[in-house]
Amino acid sequence: MTITYVLMQNLNRNPLRTMLTAAAFALPMAVFVAAISLVVLLAKVAAANEKELRLGVRQKTSLINPLPEGMRRKIEALDPDRKSLRAVCGMRWFGGRVPNTQNMLVSMAADADTFPEVYSDVQMTPEETAKWTADRTACVAGSGVAEQYHWKVGDRVTLESTVPPYLTLEFHLVKIMTQTERGNVFYLRRDYLEESLRTAGFDNPQCNIFWVKCTSAEGLRALQTRIDQAFANSPEETKSEDENAFAANFTQAGGDIPGLMQAMAIVVVCIIALVAGNTMMMSFRERIRELAVFKAIGFQSGRIFTIVLAESAMLALIGSLAGVLPTAAILTLVPMRGLRMGPISRVEISPVAVIVSVVIALVVGLAAGLWPAYQAMRLRTVDALRRIA
Amino acid sequence: MSTVEIELREVRKVYHKDRIEIPVLEGLNLTVTTGEFVVLMGPSGSGKSTLLHLIGGLDSPTSGSVRVGDAQLERMTERELTSWRSRHVGFIFQMYHLVPVLTAAQNVELPLLLFRMSSAERRERVATALGVVGLADRTDHRPNQLSGGQEQRVAIARAIVTDPRLILADEPTGDLDAKTSEEILNLLNVLNTEFGKTVLLVTHDPRAAAHGQRQLHLDKGAFYRDEAVPPRAASTAAASR
Repeated sequence: MTITYVLMQNLNRNPLRTMLTAAAFALPMAVFVAAISLVVLLAKVAAANEKELRLGVRQKTSLINPLPEGMRRKIEALDPDRKSLRAVCGMRWFGGRVPNTQNMLVSMAADADTFPEVYSDVQMTPEETAKWTADRTACVAGSGVAEQYHWKVGDRVTLESTVPPYLTLEFHLVKIMTQTERGNVFYLRRDYLEESLRTAGFDNPQCNIFWVKCTSAEGLRALQTRIDQAFANSPEETKSEDENAFAANFTQAGGDIPGLMQAMAIVVVCIIALVAGNTMMMSFRERIRELAVFKAIGFQSGRIFTIVLAESAMLALIGSLAGVLPTAAILTLVPMRGLRMGPISRVEISPVAVIVSVVIALVVGLAAGLWPAYQAMRLRTVDALRRIA
Repeated sequence: MSTVEIELREVRKVYHKDRIEIPVLEGLNLTVTTGEFVVLMGPSGSGKSTLLHLIGGLDSPTSGSVRVGDAQLERMTERELTSWRSRHVGFIFQMYHLVPVLTAAQNVELPLLLFRMSSAERRERVATALGVVGLADRTDHRPNQLSGGQEQRVAIARAIVTDPRLILADEPTGDLDAKTSEEILNLLNVLNTEFGKTVLLVTHDPRAAAHGQRQLHLDKGAFYRDEAVPPRAASTAAASR
C-alpha cells in the first residue's frame, strides 16, 4: 500500500460527490481542449501565412467595396524589376454554396495565371497546374468541403452564388487541398466568373482584394507602404496588410471574440475552483477526526498538507482527463462535417492543447485544495480529538 | 530492576478561552515504571485526557517537565514530537477512527508508511499485529464489515504495529458492550504482561480499572489517590480472558 493508494481510496469515499466534482472539471476542460486546439491551429495558420509573404490590397473603406481589375497592372508597375514583388493575384468573392444547402463556402474567383504562384502553399503539381490553366471551369477545393460533399478530383461540381446575380456555375475539380487552414475554401477561375457575369449582363470586371506575393519580409513592408501611398487621394484608396492582419480583421468583426472567450474562460475556471474548493472543504471537515488520528500516529503536518492537496489535484486530474480524452478522441476520429470556422473545416486536437488543459485543471485543483490543506496542516490534534472524545 | 518510563514534574496545563485562564492540571508529579499498567480515573473535566495527551506528546505543558523514556517532551519541537510519537507511542481511541475505505490490514499498515520498510516486511508486521489481536482472518474486511469490538481490535493492532514502548488508551471501551469491553481489556493485559508494553488507560468504568496494576484518581487537575489494584482483582480479570 502507498499513500497514492490511500488517496485513490479516499476519492472512493463518496463516489457520487467525486463523480459530480470530476464532471465539473470534465465539461469545461472538454470545451477548453477544443478551444485551445483552435487557438493553436490559428497560431499555426498565422505562422504559415507569415512564411508565405502575401500582402492583401483592398479598398480602404471596406473589403465589400471592389477595386477595378486594372489595378493589378498598376500594382505590378510599382516594382517593375521584381525586387520585392513576385506576382499579383486578383480575387473576387463568389459566395457559392452547393445547391439546396445552407452552408456558404469561402469561395473566391482567382486570377488563373498567377494563382499557382501566389498560392504556392496549395502545392499544385505541374499536372494540376496544367489542368487549372487549360480548363476555365477548373476549381480547387479544400478537403473539408470535398469530404462533406463526397467530391473527388475529376468530378463536375455545381455551386450557386449567394450574391447578385446569383449565378449557378458548374466546375471541374482539379485538386483537393489537404491543408487544414484551407479545408473550407473553394477557388475558381476569375476569368470564368467574369465571363459568366458578362453573359448575365453584369459587365464590370473587378476584385475585392489583390494578393501580392512578395520576395521577402522587408520587401512586403516596403510594398505595403508604396502601394498605399501610390493610391492615396485617388478614387480607389487602398489598405494593404499582411495575411495575418487581414485575418484578424475578420476575427474582430463580430466584436472582441478572443477577449470575450478569455473572460468566459476565467469565469469558468473560477467557478470550477469554487466547486472543487467546496468539495475539498466538505471532505476535509468530514475527515477532521481521521486526519487528527493521522497526526497522532506520526504523520507530519507537511505530509498531511500534501495528502489533502494531492487529493484535490488528483480529483482535478481525473476530471480533466475524463473531459479531455473523449473530446480528443471524438474530434480526431469523427469528421466534423459542417463545422464552419472561416476557411478552417476541422479542429485537430493539439497535444499542446491537451497538456495546457490538464495543467490548467491541475492548477485549479491545487488552488482549490490549498485552503483545506492549510487547515488540515494547522489542525491541532488535541482539539480535533477532543471533539470526538 | 524496573526503570522509570514516565516522569512528570510539577506539570501545569492552563487553557485560555476568551482571555480567561482555565487551569486543567495543577502541578502534577507522577512516576510510571516500564511495564506498568496504570489506570487514570476521574470525573469528566478532571484532566485525564489532557494528561494522556501530554504524555503522548500531543500537547505541551504550560510549565513543568514531561519525560518519557529518554525524551524530554517539553523541549521538543512539534516536528520532533510527531516523529517521536510514530516510533514510541501507540494510541487507542474510544471511537476507533479507522479509515473506512481501507481494509483492516491496510488500516494497520498506515503507521508503517512512515518508515523505510519493504512491503514484505510491512505485510509481515501487519499479519503479526492482527494475529495478536485475534483478527488474522479479517484482514480484508473493511471497518463497516466488522463489529465494534473487532474495529477496536484493528485500532489496537494499528497502535502496536510499530512496536511502541507505550500504549495510551483513551476510554477504549466507552462505546462497547460489557462482554466486548472485557475482551478489549484482556487484550491490553496481554500487551502489558506478555509483550512488556507500558499501558496508560483512561476510563470511568471501575470494572475496566480493575484490569490495571495501579489506579490514579484525578480530580480538578490533581491526583487525590494513587493506589495499587489488589492482586485478586487483577487475577480475576486475567482469569476471565
